Order: sequence, then C-alpha cells, then structure tokens
Amino acid sequence: MLHIPSGIIQDMIAHARELAPHECCGILSGKQETVVECYRITNILATMSKQELSRFDGAKLSDLQRLSPEERADIAFQMDAREMAMAQRDIRTKGHDLLGFYHSHTFSPARPSQTDITIAMEFESYRTKLNLPEPLHLIVSLEQAAHPVIKAYRIQEAQPTEISIQPTG
Amino acid sequence: MIKVRIPTPLRPMTGGKNEVEVAGNTIAEIIDNLGSAHPGIKERLYDEQGEVRRFINIYVNEEDIRFLTGKETPLKDGDEVSIIPAIAGGR
Repeated sequence: MLHIPSGIIQDMIAHARELAPHECCGILSGKQETVVECYRITNILATMSKQELSRFDGAKLSDLQRLSPEERADIAFQMDAREMAMAQRDIRTKGHDLLGFYHSHTFSPARPSQTDITIAMEFESYRTKLNLPEPLHLIVSLEQAAHPVIKAYRIQEAQPTEISIQPTG
Repeated sequence: MIKVRIPTPLRPMTGGKNEVEVAGNTIAEIIDNLGSAHPGIKERLYDEQGEVRRFINIYVNEEDIRFLTGKETPLKDGDEVSIIPAIAGGR
C-alpha cells in the first residue's frame, strides 16, 4: 500500500496533462509507505526542438544499446540527469527516501511497457551500490482523457506487481 | 587506481566488464584515460561541447559530481566512480 496525498495525485495528473502528448516524468519522496513530496523532472525528449528530434537516436540518447530496435523506438521519456540528481539531493537533505518514479502514458493503459521494465531492471542493477531504496514505478494513464488512472508497481526480476494506492488528505 | 562502474549499455566497449580500474586524479582524467583504453566510450559520456550528457549521472562514491566540482572533482585511491544513465521509459 502506498499512501499519497490527494494534492500530489492531482499534481501528477496535471503534469501529465500539461505535457501531453509528450510523457511527463518525476520522482516521489517520503517516508516508508507515505509520499510527502513530488518532484517534476524535465523529460528531455519533450524539450527537444524538431531539428534535434530529427537527429534523435534513441539508443544514443538513452545509452541503452541493449534495447531492441522496437524498444528504442518506444522510448518516450528520458529524465534530465541534473534535475534527477538535484531532487535526490533534496530528498536526502530533508531526511526523506526516494519512494518512486512516475511517468505518464498518454495513449496507453497504466501498466509498465516492456521498455519500462527493461529500464527499471537496469536501474535496479545500480541502486544498491548507491545505497538507494527500491523504488516503485507509478504510471499516470491519460488513455481515457476524462478519467485519468494512476497505478503503482514494484518491478522485481522483470515482473511488475501492482501495489495499491491509498489517497490521503 | 580508481574503480569505475560501467553501465550495461557501455559494457560492449569494455569487453563486457562491469568494472574497470583506471588511473587519474580527477573525473576528467579518468574519462580521458577510459576513452584511451576503450575507444568510443568518451563520446558516449560527453556531448559535443565536452560536457557530461544530459542523461548521464556520474557519481563519486554516493555523490553526484555536479554537487562536487564537476569534471574537476579530485579522486583518491579507494574512491569508486559510477556512471549511471538517468531513468527513461517507454510508452
């Protein structure tokens, strides 16, 4: 069970809507199973000019050469590394933990794509060495625009397991 | 010598090794030497302006070099450098 203040749920939905049709992304922090803060992180794919995007090489951008061509073409968000690092520092300074990453699916359901799972596993291989807790992966789906859906997953050994979300306050 | 952790996507350039030992007193020297020993790797880490790419984090032990002194961050024996791509995902 993950407890998330309603205001943060609304903020994630607003973030997703603001960036649609691009995907949004961000970080949630808190203590144990309770989210206390949401950090919007720039999706650098969404800020690229058309000219930059025309030169876009998904593998180079994400440095994820191991992805299949289909998965590379599927890359829809890439966090700005500097902002991600700044958020992690702020989280540490406040004595919170990194609880999860969120991103939006503008046209598909709120479940991890194969690319999401592959990249989550990649992160998993680093995080223990950096002394980070295991993150949950949240997806905001705008598939039904009037009825956004947020779901949270734990991804272990390439298998996503849904964790229920309890809105608070 | 400094231990450098190599992320999966770059391991083809290090002969499959997930860690390599590199000489250098700063991050910049480590990356230069890494690039000499493993051609192509430096270009994956730096953009055309010679800055660390927007999707790459480099850590010394558990701290991002952006919060130390960037590429000039000094290193000492026993330090560990980790190269980590920022989180990405699909649709």
